[in-house]
Amino acid sequence: MSKSKTEQPLQSQLAALDAIVAWFTEGDFDLDLAATQYAEGVAIAQSIQQHLTKLENHITILKERFDAAEK
Amino acid sequence: MESVVLSVSDLLGLVNQTLEFAYPTVTVVGEVASFKVSRDKYVFFDLKDDTGLVSCFMTVYQLRTVIEDGMRVQIIAQPRLTGWGKFSLTVRDIQLVGEGHLKRSAQLLRAKLQAEGLFDATRKRSLPFMPQRIGLITSAESAAYADFIKILGQRWQGVEVLVANVQVQGLEAARQLTRAITFFNEQAQPVDVLVVIRGGGSIEDLAAFNEEPLVRAVAASRIPTVVGVGHETDTSLCDEAADVRAATPSNAAQLVVPDARAVLLGVEQHMNTLFTHFQHRVVIQTSSVKNHINHLTEQMRHRLQTLQQQTNTTAKLLRQLDPMKTLERGFAIVRDQEGKVVRRAVQQASAGSNVTIQLAHATITAGVIDVQE
Repeated sequence: MSKSKTEQPLQSQLAALDAIVAWFTEGDFDLDLAATQYAEGVAIAQSIQQHLTKLENHITILKERFDAAEK
Repeated sequence: MESVVLSVSDLLGLVNQTLEFAYPTVTVVGEVASFKVSRDKYVFFDLKDDTGLVSCFMTVYQLRTVIEDGMRVQIIAQPRLTGWGKFSLTVRDIQLVGEGHLKRSAQLLRAKLQAEGLFDATRKRSLPFMPQRIGLITSAESAAYADFIKILGQRWQGVEVLVANVQVQGLEAARQLTRAITFFNEQAQPVDVLVVIRGGGSIEDLAAFNEEPLVRAVAASRIPTVVGVGHETDTSLCDEAADVRAATPSNAAQLVVPDARAVLLGVEQHMNTLFTHFQHRVVIQTSSVKNHINHLTEQMRHRLQTLQQQTNTTAKLLRQLDPMKTLERGFAIVRDQEGKVVRRAVQQASAGSNVTIQLAHATITAGVIDVQE
């Protein structure tokens, strides 16, 4: 089963939000569909905001040594 | 004491053993003369000063910078006698000494690599917009590392940074940096971007970043590279070979990840645009429905008015045709004995018969005296 848009990686979510905004700016549209799209846009935006405010960077210093003699 | 008789080979072997024991390696500084590469494999040159000269030998693979006559170098070498009894230094490592020579060597190497197309703009790849895994090659104890991690954290979260802790200065630096680049490129799951950074320093401190094998490793990396070495004004050959040059280690962090605040602002602007468009559409639709209602109401009103007018006209006509109105004006309706309205007196009424005369407000029964037409 495919992931919902709010479960996708951040970059995909931003792309999805861009697409919704483009859809709205393209002109004529059905109001019912617009309501669905608007709700989806809001959900994606909230998900992105959560992503960006809750995540942390993970830093690992590798154990590999790079001073070994050349093979 | 008895003198020992030795063969020539034994003597050479004895001297070499003695040298190896007493001076396993020597570090010597001097000026290069008679520099020569033989069969693309072996390098021969003399190292000299004002009064002395010594022959040196090394393989071409150990040569990491461009050397030419007149350059001042520091070598680490093993002293030995050759089979022909010639004293020679077998060079393990060679490093240029002095800013002028380092610059000259870098210039020569730049020209060589440029001719190969290593710095061509067409080779440059763009960096991923939101890398999830970053390979960082630097000294983990350096200020450059601290700056990079700090700026990275200020700008973006949710990224995995794998740090290859290497020397970024000195004889070993270029080799370690090269190995780290190779290491990241050999991983089954490579990182999204490679970042090579080092803080500022003298031209000697940064010399490793102008060594040919390292510059080639940066250019050959299958992972996109960002190199930020020294200050803004320092440009190493590694910078030129990288996909993206960062002015400083902090700038490298700025280039490698987007700014979360800008992204959030963009999302906010997107939401405003969405809301505005949606609201606009709702207003348009509402206005359209209102117009329809107004139009219908107007049509109904008009229809009602027409019907009202028609009703009024009919009522007026009806009122005008009311027989009572005629009777009120003084007229009367005469009926015969059967109650029929008398229209032909001769046929319906005769002298002696009775008729009924209907007035507006009374009815009179009268006898007919005479009938004339």
